[in-house]
Amino acid sequence: MTRRELLVLSGAGLISPRPSRGSGPQNLSYPLSGIDGTITPQDLFFVRDHFSPPRLSLETWQLSVEGRVSRPRKFSFSDVLELPARQVESVLECSGNAAGGSAASNGKWEGVPISFLLEKAGIGRDAAFVELEGADTGRLLAQSPPLPFAQVVPVEKCLDASSLLAYKLNGLFLPPRNGFPARALFPGWYGMTSVKWLRRIVVLSEEDRGSAFHQSGMNRVYNRVIETPEGRKTIPLTSVQVKSAIAWPYEGMNLPAGNHAVWGFSWTGTGEIRDVSVSVDGGRSWNAAKLDSPGGPYRWVRWTFAWNAAPGEYTLMSRAADSMGHQQPLTRDKSRKDVYELNWCLPLRCTVR
Amino acid sequence: MNSTGAYRCAALCVEILALSAGLLAADCPPSTLGREETVRRLQQLDQAAQTSMRQGRYPEAMRAYREQSCLAPDSSGVFYALGTAEAASGDFLSARKSFAAADRLEPSNSLPLAMLVRVNLSIGDIDSVKAALWDAAGRFPRDSNFHGAMARFLIQNKQYDLALAESLRAREAGSPDDSARMELAVLENTAGAYDDAIRNASALAQKTGLPDSLRASAAGVAGLSYEGAGQRDAAIAHLRDAIRLDPSRENSYLALAFILEKTQRFREAAEVLEQGRRHLPDSTAILLPLGSDLVGAEQVQAGIGVLNEFIRKSPEEPKAYLELADAYRKAGDPRQEAKTLQDLAQRKPEYPRIHRLIASALFNLTPPDYPAVLAELDRADQTAPDDPDALYLRGKVFLATHRDAEAETALRRSIEKRPMDPGPYYQLARLYQKLGKKDLAQDTLARMQSLKNLPAK
Repeated sequence: MTRRELLVLSGAGLISPRPSRGSGPQNLSYPLSGIDGTITPQDLFFVRDHFSPPRLSLETWQLSVEGRVSRPRKFSFSDVLELPARQVESVLECSGNAAGGSAASNGKWEGVPISFLLEKAGIGRDAAFVELEGADTGRLLAQSPPLPFAQVVPVEKCLDASSLLAYKLNGLFLPPRNGFPARALFPGWYGMTSVKWLRRIVVLSEEDRGSAFHQSGMNRVYNRVIETPEGRKTIPLTSVQVKSAIAWPYEGMNLPAGNHAVWGFSWTGTGEIRDVSVSVDGGRSWNAAKLDSPGGPYRWVRWTFAWNAAPGEYTLMSRAADSMGHQQPLTRDKSRKDVYELNWCLPLRCTVR
Repeated sequence: MNSTGAYRCAALCVEILALSAGLLAADCPPSTLGREETVRRLQQLDQAAQTSMRQGRYPEAMRAYREQSCLAPDSSGVFYALGTAEAASGDFLSARKSFAAADRLEPSNSLPLAMLVRVNLSIGDIDSVKAALWDAAGRFPRDSNFHGAMARFLIQNKQYDLALAESLRAREAGSPDDSARMELAVLENTAGAYDDAIRNASALAQKTGLPDSLRASAAGVAGLSYEGAGQRDAAIAHLRDAIRLDPSRENSYLALAFILEKTQRFREAAEVLEQGRRHLPDSTAILLPLGSDLVGAEQVQAGIGVLNEFIRKSPEEPKAYLELADAYRKAGDPRQEAKTLQDLAQRKPEYPRIHRLIASALFNLTPPDYPAVLAELDRADQTAPDDPDALYLRGKVFLATHRDAEAETALRRSIEKRPMDPGPYYQLARLYQKLGKKDLAQDTLARMQSLKNLPAK
C-alpha cells in the first residue's frame, strides 16, 4: 500500500491543492489546453462570482422550496443525499465568455432532479416560473439593495429531468467555489441560471415577481439586446449558442514547420455537435476536423485537425455546427447591443518557421 | 428494541393475540386449525425455526417461518424473522419482501427498515437503500441511535455519501458520542466540508479526558481539513499535535510528510518520517516516502539504503523501483539504475515504458552499451511503437554510432510525433552540422530557439 493510498483511506484523498477561499468574488478560468480527454478537472473548472462566496456548513445548510406549492418544505443535505440521484455530463458556460474563451467547462454532474423536489413540495398548477436564490449576497447594481444572487427560470426547464440540484462534480462533492454544498444545474443553458450555493426555490405564477431577482436589478442584466428598426428588443438569455474554441495552438505562437495537431472543443445548448471545421487561412477555406469524443446533448466534443504546416503566417479559426442546424457565425451580429453569447469564430494568429 | 430474538418473541406474542384468520397471504393454503391448535403450531414452528437458525440450517428455518407467516399473516415479528432467515440464506429478494411486510405491519418499529437498508445494499439497489433511509428519516427523525447505527453500517460498506447523510441525521437528532462525532468529522473532511470537519475534530482534539489515541486521530483529521481549506500552517501544526499525542499512529507521519513534500520541504518530511520510523520500526509504509524524501533532500545514499530496504520487504511495489532507479541516476550510477529497472521488468514485464527507461539508463553508461540500448528500444517498440522518446533515444544512438541516415529518420519522426519538444531539434541540428549541411543546421536550431519562447502549457 502506498502512502497516497493510505492517505485516501484516512480521508485525505481530497487534499490536493485547493486555493484558499478569499473574501471577494472570484473570476477564474484556465487554458483549455490543460484538459486531458473531455472532462474538465475540478481544479480547472471556471469560476464567475457576483458576490463574495459564502462559507456554508453541511450541518446547517437547508434548501427551502416554497411559493406556489401545496407543501412548502425544507430539505437538509441528508435529505438531498438520500433522494434518487441522476448523472448528467454537461458543459457550463458563462454567458459573457469571450469568443474562443475558456470560461466554459465540461463536467460530470450528479444530483437530484429539481422536478423531484418540486413534486415533493406539491408544485401548484399555476406554477409558471421558479426563482432560485443563492446564499451569496451583495449589491448587484450601485443603486440596488444588498440581496441574494437570484435567477428566474421557466418551470418547464425546471421540470426537465436533466435539470438538477447538483452536489457532485466529477464524482467528488462540489468545491466551495463551484457552489458547495449544492447548486442548480440547467444543462444547455448559460451558467448564470445554474445558481451556486442554492438555498431557496420559490415557485411563481405568471403574475408573481421574483423578489430578489427584480429588486436586485438582476432582471435587467443577462438579456439579449437587439437593435431593430422598431427599437431595442430585450430577451432573457437561455440556451447556449453553438460555439468552439481552439485549445492549441495559442494566439501569437511561433511553431516549427511540420505536422501539428490543432485541437479544441465545441459545444451547443441545443441538440448536439454535428461537425467542426478548421480554417488556417482566416476563413477562406475550411477543413473538416476529426471528432475525437462522442457527441451527445449538453456535453462538448473534443476535436483535432491534423495540420501539416509550412513556414508562413497563419490565421486559424474553428467553426462548429449542431444537429439543430445552428452554425457558429463568422462575426458578431452588428444588431447585438449586449455583451453576451460571444460565439463568433475567433481568428487566432500564429507563425510557422 | 435491539436484539432480534427479543424483538421476535415480543412481536410473536402480540401477533398471536391479534391473530386473524381472514388475513392469510395469497400463497398460503387455507388453515384447518382451530385457535388453540394454531397457537400450539406457531410455538412449535418458532422453536423449530430458532433451532434451525442456530444450527445454520436456513432453508429449514425459512420453511418454518413461512408456515408461521401463513398462520399469523399480520405478525410483523414473523415476517421479520422470515426475512432474517431468507437474508441468512442469501435470498435477498425474498428477504426484502418479508422485511417490507414487517415494516408495513409495524411502522412504529425501525428494525425492519434497518434490515431493508441492509438487504437492499446486498442486492446493490442503492435507490431502494436511499428510499428506506428517506422513509426512516421521516418516521424516526429523533432516533439518533438508529441513524448512528446506519452511519456505521454504511461506513463499513463503503457507502460514504449515505453514511454522511445518516451521520448528519444522528447529529441533528441528538448529541453524538465522541466516536460518532469523530466519524462525522472524517466524513465531512472527505466531502470537502472543511469548516465543519475542523470544528468537530478540533473540539475532540482539545477535549481533556479523552484517550490520547482518539485525540490524536481528531488532530489528524483537523490537520487534513486545514490542508483542504488551504490553511497549511494550521494543518502542519495539527498533524504535529497528532504525532505528539499518539506517536504510534503511522498515518500522522505519512500525512504530515506528504504535506511537507508538496511544498518541496523534503528535509523536514524526511525528519518526520525518521521520527516515525523510530517509533514504528516495523512500518513498511514509512520506508517508501522516507527513501524518496531523503533523495529529494539530497541525502541520496541514505535514500538508496532505505529504498532497498523497502524493496526487500515489499518487492511488488513498482514505484519503489522507479524511485530507486532515480536515486541511482542522481548518484551517477547508471549501471545500478539499469539493473534496478531490469529487476522491475522481470517482476512486472508489462510495466508501461519499462524498456524505454532501461534503454535510457544503458545509454548513460560509460561507455554506453549501444547494442543493448537498441535491443531494449526494440522491446519497447513491441508495446509502444512510435513512442517519441524512444525515437529520440534511437536517433541519439544512431548519431553516436555514425549511422547518420538512420539517425535523421529517427529524429525527424520524433519531431513529427512531438513537434514541441526541443531535444530532437538539437540532435538533428548536430547531425546536419556534422554532415556539413549548415543551412539546415541553422534552421533547425532556430526552430528549437523559437520553442523556448512559448508560454507554458
